[in-house]
Amino acid sequence: MTTFRKIVSAGLVSAGMLIGGTLGMTSAAMAIDPGTYKIGWVADRTGVVAFAGVSYAQGGQLAVEEINASGKLGDGVKLEIVEREGASEPARSIQGYNQLVADREIIATACCIFSGIAGALKPIAKNNGVPLVFYGATMPNLPELPLIYNVTSLPGVQEVALSKYLVEVLKPKTVAYFVLADNEAFQQRYKASREVFEAAGAETVGVATALGHDTDFTAQATQLIALKPDLIMVYVTQIPAAGFIQAVRQRGWEGHMATNEAISPIAVWKKIGEALAGVPFSVAFTADTAETPPAKAFVENYRKKFGADPDVYAAQGYTAVQLIAQGLEKLQGKPTREQLAEAMASLNTIENDVFGGIKLVDGQLITDKNNFVAWTREGKIAPWKP
Amino acid sequence: MELFASQLLNGLSLGSLYALFGIGFGLVFATMGILNAAQGCYATWAAIIALAAAESLGLPFPLIILAAVLGGGVVAIGVDQLGFQPLRARKVDMLGALITSIAFWMILDSLAGFATGQQSLSFPAWSYPGYMLTTNPIPLPAMQIISISTLIVITVAMHYMIAHTRLGSAIRAVGWNPVAASLGGVNSRTIILLTAALAGAISGLAGLLGGVLTSNVSFTLGQSLMLKGFAAVVVGGYTDVRGTAIAGLLLGVLEVFCGQYISTALRDGFTYSLLLLFLLVRPQGLFGSRGFIRA
Repeated sequence: MTTFRKIVSAGLVSAGMLIGGTLGMTSAAMAIDPGTYKIGWVADRTGVVAFAGVSYAQGGQLAVEEINASGKLGDGVKLEIVEREGASEPARSIQGYNQLVADREIIATACCIFSGIAGALKPIAKNNGVPLVFYGATMPNLPELPLIYNVTSLPGVQEVALSKYLVEVLKPKTVAYFVLADNEAFQQRYKASREVFEAAGAETVGVATALGHDTDFTAQATQLIALKPDLIMVYVTQIPAAGFIQAVRQRGWEGHMATNEAISPIAVWKKIGEALAGVPFSVAFTADTAETPPAKAFVENYRKKFGADPDVYAAQGYTAVQLIAQGLEKLQGKPTREQLAEAMASLNTIENDVFGGIKLVDGQLITDKNNFVAWTREGKIAPWKP
Repeated sequence: MELFASQLLNGLSLGSLYALFGIGFGLVFATMGILNAAQGCYATWAAIIALAAAESLGLPFPLIILAAVLGGGVVAIGVDQLGFQPLRARKVDMLGALITSIAFWMILDSLAGFATGQQSLSFPAWSYPGYMLTTNPIPLPAMQIISISTLIVITVAMHYMIAHTRLGSAIRAVGWNPVAASLGGVNSRTIILLTAALAGAISGLAGLLGGVLTSNVSFTLGQSLMLKGFAAVVVGGYTDVRGTAIAGLLLGVLEVFCGQYISTALRDGFTYSLLLLFLLVRPQGLFGSRGFIRA
């Protein structure tokens, strides 16, 4: 055997050993130790946004059950959610979160619909070195690698896209806005949208505002109808959006309105009904428009378990757990919070994508698709047709 | 001008809810000396009971109103007998009653959240007159007119009852001094029960109308009425339902006009500044007399 052949043979053997070793390690050693791994979850099952909080929690719960049933994390490995009720109150959420992070068996955490509460929990997570995934906070720039993530599909991005689309198809000359005065996230969303319309030459003829705890929107409806705008953009949460749209339609105004994902849950349709029909909104996920196999499976399993269609909030709760599980999948032995954080930070997408195209950019989930949809008169969500 | 008139109507409609709720709230304070923080829950629960009755039995609107009135009354009697009667028996002061009422507020609110599945529900469209009486020169929603008319009827009836009937005299007597009223032949316990039921029923009526007008039946319904109803009582005076009615309407109109012509963000600031001003300048309210204690 020539020296050259010896070298090539040795190289091939080494490479074979290396590949074999690596593959062997992947199948056997690349799994975390058997046991139960706990995820701390600050839930909002009660309080002012409980209508969404229940969905987030149920989405998370479904993900845990699916992951445990699949055995994808390894033999004898189980995930478990430990819930503390935050009720969307800062003090209760912080207290609950402190209890969760004090438990060393909790390897990762998830929380928050309100961005203010999310901001308050962030330093606690950082001080305790525990990964924290926001499932519902819409404020941009919340993530901070390797510990802080946000799987909320940032609505501002979608709304800018919707506004551009509305400019293109409706060509409005005048636009009026209904906005929450005491909600920074909605203020930002409104401003981003207004910029788009004004850049396209649409005049802002009026801005009516409400406060987050308001329940009567007849005055704002009257105020904006009187301006006779070509389009009314609605940037508020669920109760004001539903109440305002109903008040506008009840007063006989048939002009164009557009809003956000707040009206996407089936409960809003049941509450308001036909007044919502034809009002476009942008949303990252709906059960009626789910197309991909993971999305369809999610819808089916959710219906089976909870007897209702999942909404966008359930999809986000589901995705929060998937992100944590995917981080665990990359580890072996008995992982620490810090190791899990590093593993999660290395991810650039999330498997079991129910949104139909997502990526993780610096810890922030970005959805690729823009769904411009509307309720039909039959109570289904369908792509919006101008 | 049309806008002004429409907003005036919106303000009067909103104010009628505050006023109705305030009348129930003020009645409890004037008669029993209880600042009842749970009163908002009576409105919430009345609306929930009425909604359940409407959906399960398919009742017409007048019977839905009856269900709300009865529901509010029953919840109020329940809270009074479970929470306040034991305190009265032990002669616990107003602070004890306030703390008890806060406890009931928390409990009833939580239960309301579960009863509605943590959702904001609304009355089915067929269950109430959701149409416009006319759209020219201004839109005139039937429900807003019903709400304002209800306030007028309740105010007149309550004023007449309190000022001109034996029952009203008994209520005033118990409010002034239950022991003296008993010595004068009034059954204080029965009067207190009746007052609690009446206050609950009126708050229930406010809850029902609020639930229909705002398409919101949830635990937030009573909360939104509570503070403004309280403000209406303070501004109007505890001693006269006419004052509460006028103050409630005033608050509603002020809120709507403030949102229309100044700023929504400043709206609650305006409302509570007015409350503060009245507490400083005229603590007895619009119709109250300077020498009053209560009732």
